[in-house]
Formats: sequence, C-alpha cells, structure tokens
Amino acid sequence: MSKSKEKRFLSPGKHLMMGNEAMSEGAIAAGLKFFGGYPITPSTEVIEHLARRMPEVGGVCMQMEDELASINAVMGASLVGAKSMTATSGPGLALMTETISMAANLEIPFVFCDVQRNGPGTGYVTDLHHNDIGFVRFSGNGEFQVIALAPMNCQELFDLTIIAFNFAETYRCPVFLLSDAYLGHLHEVVEIPSEEEILARVVDRKYPDEPTDNFYSYRDRMTNEYIIPEMPVIGTDYCPGLWLHQPHGPAGLPTPKPVEFIQTLIEKINVNKDKICLTDSYQLEDADIVIVAYGLPVRSSYRAVDIARKEGIKVGVLRLITVWPFPDEIVQKSIENAKAIIVPEINYTGVIAEQVERFTKPGVSIIRIPKVCDFHHPDEILKEIREAAK
Amino acid sequence: MSNIGMLLPNEKPEHPYLLKSYAGMLLGNYSTRFCAGCGYGIIAQLFTRVFEDEKLDPHLHPVVIGIGCYAQIMLLVHGNAQKILSLHGRAPALATGMKMANPKMKPIIFSGDGDSMGIGGNHFIHMCRRNINMVELVFNNSIYGMTGGQGAPTTLYGARTTTTPYRMFENRADAVEIALAAGATHVARTTVAHPRTFMKYFKKALKHNGTSVIEIVTPCVTYFGRKNLDNIGDPDEEGEKMDTGGKMIDWIRKNTIRINQAKFMSEEELFNKYIIGEFRYDKSKPEYSEEYAKIQKLAMGEK
Repeated sequence: MSKSKEKRFLSPGKHLMMGNEAMSEGAIAAGLKFFGGYPITPSTEVIEHLARRMPEVGGVCMQMEDELASINAVMGASLVGAKSMTATSGPGLALMTETISMAANLEIPFVFCDVQRNGPGTGYVTDLHHNDIGFVRFSGNGEFQVIALAPMNCQELFDLTIIAFNFAETYRCPVFLLSDAYLGHLHEVVEIPSEEEILARVVDRKYPDEPTDNFYSYRDRMTNEYIIPEMPVIGTDYCPGLWLHQPHGPAGLPTPKPVEFIQTLIEKINVNKDKICLTDSYQLEDADIVIVAYGLPVRSSYRAVDIARKEGIKVGVLRLITVWPFPDEIVQKSIENAKAIIVPEINYTGVIAEQVERFTKPGVSIIRIPKVCDFHHPDEILKEIREAAK
Repeated sequence: MSNIGMLLPNEKPEHPYLLKSYAGMLLGNYSTRFCAGCGYGIIAQLFTRVFEDEKLDPHLHPVVIGIGCYAQIMLLVHGNAQKILSLHGRAPALATGMKMANPKMKPIIFSGDGDSMGIGGNHFIHMCRRNINMVELVFNNSIYGMTGGQGAPTTLYGARTTTTPYRMFENRADAVEIALAAGATHVARTTVAHPRTFMKYFKKALKHNGTSVIEIVTPCVTYFGRKNLDNIGDPDEEGEKMDTGGKMIDWIRKNTIRINQAKFMSEEELFNKYIIGEFRYDKSKPEYSEEYAKIQKLAMGEK
C-alpha cells in the first residue's frame, strides 16, 4: 500500500498539464478509487490518463461497454464505499440521466465530469458550447437538487475536483464538474500542493461508529434540521437490507410522505447554500455595471474589466464557481445597485441570464452576449460595457 | 396507501426456509405478491435454501436485482442478504462496479429475460466477455409480465401476447447461446420444474471463479398461460389452455429436452423447445478482477 500512496500525490510544484489531465490528477488526489468511463471526445484524455494512473494508486479504471454501463458501475462502486467518478460529454450525459436520477434518489455520492461540446452525438466534437448548464440542473426524472461547479482554468480543474468530491461525500448527491472542450484541451501550468496540504483538504468517506436505522437524509422532528447520515456501504453491517428507490421505504411499500421525501432531497442542499455556493468577485465593490459569468467567459470578462476601469467605467465581475444550486442571495446582493448587467455565456439561451433576471429590478436591462463554438473576445464584452456606460 | 403490507394475507408458515424471508423478518409478513401459478416463489425459496445451507456471507454476496415481476423476489429471499434494486437491464453493470471496487465480493444478479436479452443485452454480453466473477440468474418466462404481457425477445414463435395479438413472428433470443458466444465460462439452463438441478447448478456457480449464467425457465400463467394453448408454434395439433400453474409446469416439462438428447435431434425437432443442462464449465479462462490485480501490480512496479 505504501507504494500506491507514494504515487497518489504528484511532486509538489509546477506541472504543465492538459485540462483533462489536471482534472484526473485532482480526482486521484481526492482519493478516487473507481473510474468507469466510455471514450467520448473531448473527454477522452480523462480515461486515457486514468487508465495509466489508477492501477498505480491501487484503484480501478474500467472502460465499460457504453455510457449506461459506466455510470451504473460508478454507482455500484460508490455503494461499496469507493470514491468514484465518470467523465463524459453531452451525448453521454443524455444517456446517463436515468441512473443519475436513481443515484440522487438513493443519495449515492459520485462526481460527474462533463466536458461539454457542441451539439448532439453528431455535433462538432471539439468545439465548446455550454449547452449542458440547464441540462445538469434537471438531469433525470424525478425531483432532486444537484451541485454543479464551473472551473475556468487548469488549476481550478485540479482544485475544484477535490472540492467536488468533498461536496459529494458531505451532501451525498451527484456533483457535476462543468468543463468544456477548450478547457479540457488547454495546456496550463498547475501548481500541485504538498501531500499534507492535499490531505488536509480532502474529506474522506465517513463510516458510522454504531449501527443506526437512518440510512437516508431526514428532517429532525425536534430541531427541524436536515441531517445527512453517513453513506451506508454494501458489504458491512451498516447497510439497509434492501436498497430501493427511497419512496418505497424499507419494505418496498410506498412511503406515506412523498412530499417530505422530495423536500428532504432538495432542501438538504439548499439549507447548506452558504457552504456550497462558491463565488468570486472582481472589482465589484463600487461597480454600477456588473458582469455575471462562469467558466471560460470569466477570463475574457476580467480582461475587459481591466481595460474598462482604465477608461474610468465602474464595472466589476461576479463569478459563479458554483452554478447549481444557484447562489441567489449572493447574486441578488451583488446586482442590487447595478445599472446594467452583462451576462456573457457560451450558449444562446442564456440559462444563467434567465436566473439572474429573477433578481433584477424593473428597468435594469440584462445584456446577453451569446456565443456558440467560440469564446468571447474581451473586445466584445468591452463593447457592451461601453454601450451600457453611455 | 401506506398500509398495503398490512392488508396482504398473513399466515406464519411452518416451512423452515420461508421463515427466513426478508418481509417476514422485517414485517412479519410471509405472503407473496406473485400471481397464482408463478414460478418466482419457487426460485426465491430455492435461493433462500442455498443461501442458508451454504452459509453464504451476506457481506460478500450482494444480490443485485433488475426490473421485472421477479423484483418482488427481494421480499421473499433470505432476509440477511444485502439487496439492491438496480435499473432495468443495468444489473450486470452495477454488479461489475461493486465487484471491481471490492474484489472479494461475488455479486449474485437476478435478471429477467427482458432485462438481460432486451434492454440490457449489451451489459449481459460484456459481463460474459469479461468473465468477471459473478452469478447471473436469468428468469425466462418468455413474456414481459410486469407491464401486462407484452412480447419479449424470448417469446416463443407463434405465441400470443398483447403486442403480438395474432402470433409472435420474430425469431427468439437464446440467453444460453448468447452467453456461450460471449464467453461466459459456466452456462446452464434449467427450469422451475427441475428445482434440484437448479440448486446443483447454483451451488456449482457459487464455487466457480468466473461468470456463471443460469437460465431458469419459469411459468407466467396470468399473461402467457391464459392466452396460449400448449401447442405453441404447432397449430395443427390440438392444444389445451394453460390457465393453471400445474398445467404450465406440465407444459414446461413437456417442452424441455435434455442436452444429451438434443445432440441427436434435428433443428426442426428442437424448434420452440428449451434445451436444459450444463452447456459449459470451463475453469481455464482468466478471471477479470484477478487480471486487473495483475495490472495493478505491474503498474506499481511489483512483480
């Protein structure tokens, strides 16, 4: 085991890495034990990298027969206590949704890395398109809340993957990492922290000290708090006799409280929004024009803001690191005094613009800058900033 | 809605293995939810019997159940077994993940003919191809029972179902042939009319290091028997309706041929018949998780 532990952590310092590799290394650092995947451009490098690295750290990387099998194998591995992950692109996500809803209902944690690409199965496989942003939120039948994180560079692909695993273990829900074709294939310098620092960041899977009957999240009757118990593990004493879609209850009979069940699934995450909703702000303190962005457009926005500030325009960026659950309180607070809001997104619909719209005051316009198969040039955002400042 | 379980008839049985049933241990309810004449009760009891007699470690033998009528078996089988209800057809994939994350395990998969020949055909093939150490029991009642009697990939030629109201005209899928072609190392077929043979094969499968596929032909009286005469595919003969469990068991007995006899029979004679017996028992092929362990050692630089 000592040998496998040695190889889990890369030597601390700077490494030149591809985005997909940085994400894979982040997962290994977080303690990934099972990866099930099916090759799909642009996520292929993840499975290629992990096929070499996972056996080194004593883990398993399996190339399954299709996406349906990979996500089910990932769920099975998570059920026996292994931290598990899969990586795919939009068409793969579409195939996997049935299992994602089952995993969310059974509160089985895993990390789902979505390297987004344009179009359906026959689309442009190497072009980016943030078209799964809305999809992941309701990715499956049934009602549940997922967590989705949007990194913007290779360093974050490493760091946020660790955070994604922590969220999955803590809140027992599927966690999505929204990478994209350009980010996945981008080569950048990644600063790998030391072993101690990584271990301090990682949340390991907890096992209960004594047997209990509460295998799923529930609302405490006395305190009204949502309690998320440790994940039961098949192959130990701490496991329900029957794992079944939760509304069935332990004996396979319909639950008398279907509403409370759905409520628990969603609210257990919503009440923890202060811990889950990660955001970042850039020059936002005195800004009248606010740019709300996530993922790659953040980088163009930062540049545009730098130029606009030199021209004396008060503009700032609110960056959403956590996209779902939507950080509504933070967004509301940030755009309170804004005269104009700019939302550059790499999709036409403007899924996040729609969300921001809920909190805008009457008279304040939302300027969308849609882009597909391309990212924003800072000038394009700058043009809109100048327009809005007039 | 919540007290359906309480409304079911409930008599404490005297049968020693039935007392071990999950719903019985949990709720004190020993009833089954299967139709009269269904074969799944027999399979559940046989499974419980083997589980108890062989003293299987429930921690190492998780039971992965697919979707179908037979999923209700989960309430009847041994209460100590750790069961998970998987999605329709995905049971082999789920079990593969469990097995690989904890290689000590030997998952037992319950699946139906629609599960493993229809929606999950691909997972079934690749489970057999990998020769991963698990047991898959394929319950073949040649119909989609839970959804109300639609035609299945395994439906016999000429049979009437709700989606083939005139007669079944498709060729039938054969789980055993597919498993053999895909490379499973222990393949057998038996019926609920031959319970001792099933127990023999199942015990052998539990000791086998590799993929075991056991197909069990079982009757569906409600949706198959009542709609079909026992001369399926042979309309010249006079047939009788199979509207009771006994008649269907008789029909299954009549419709099965032992593998030794089948060798000397022509294809026409074997048409619409079930060949029972052990088709393959091969210990020489490498097992997937053991091979992966070798890869792990190689990657770690050990010899």
